[in-house]
Amino acid sequence: MADHSSHDPLAGIPFDRVPPSGRYGAAGEPGVTVSTTDTPFIALVVARNGFAASVAARLGRAFGVEVADRAGAAISAASTVVGTGPGRFLVLSTIEPDLEGTLRALLGAEAAVSEQSDASVAFNLTGEKVPDLLAKGALIDLDPRVFLPGHAATTVIAHIGVTLWRVHESGWRLLVARSFEASFTRFLVASGAEFGLALENGTAGRG
Amino acid sequence: MRIPCPYCGERDAHEFATLGDATLTRPDPAAADADAQFHDYVYLRDNPAGAHEEWWYHANGCRQWLRVARDTRTHAISGAVAARATEQASGEPA
Repeated sequence: MADHSSHDPLAGIPFDRVPPSGRYGAAGEPGVTVSTTDTPFIALVVARNGFAASVAARLGRAFGVEVADRAGAAISAASTVVGTGPGRFLVLSTIEPDLEGTLRALLGAEAAVSEQSDASVAFNLTGEKVPDLLAKGALIDLDPRVFLPGHAATTVIAHIGVTLWRVHESGWRLLVARSFEASFTRFLVASGAEFGLALENGTAGRG
Repeated sequence: MRIPCPYCGERDAHEFATLGDATLTRPDPAAADADAQFHDYVYLRDNPAGAHEEWWYHANGCRQWLRVARDTRTHAISGAVAARATEQASGEPA
């Protein structure tokens, strides 16, 4: 039998370990760059019945963005508010260590707030070929002419549940449950190898 | 088969779990003939050929229950509304 291992960018990497930082696949300028070095603080806000519009307005005022009760991402320099369902918002912040407390003070009895910082890994994907890579695992249309900056979706990619949004023209962000980090990174490496993929892992855990 | 989720947009059926008939009403357990009514409600389901209303759960999306209008012969889906919207319309507490 022919030995195909030289074609496998994941050869020799244990399937249950996150592939290490480095270059994978085609040489030259990478078509996709994957980074998990940003570890934002994350909290989930679920508006109580009848308060979705009020909660969206309060979040918008507090974070200086336009928030509506729909599947979209409202992005500012330090925070992002993503709609994941009717009256449900994921809030990400790089500067609010006590994001949960801040949101509780802001929303009072209008919403239930839960801390989610360690629940998900945030993948930052940049590069021309990101839509081509994601198309290999996605059920929805992520064509850059259809899925525009500020659009968000909660769906599955490579059979793994994700919440993703397009940050800017060539930047995408995906939240994946932390226990799926190794599996999802393997999907990214295997699917991005043909474009050349640069991977930069964060330090393990927040401790 | 794609289901037009009111929140997420049109999504592949793989993202959903189906529950079944959305046209039935749970009988009153305090009624005198509750046993017979529950037997009918739980076991004696119709199997209509044609237009039908079904509950679907968008498990890998917005995690909401939907009431989906589907033709059981062609799988053509003519619409979907959030279960919570139908509940509010009927005057039940949301």
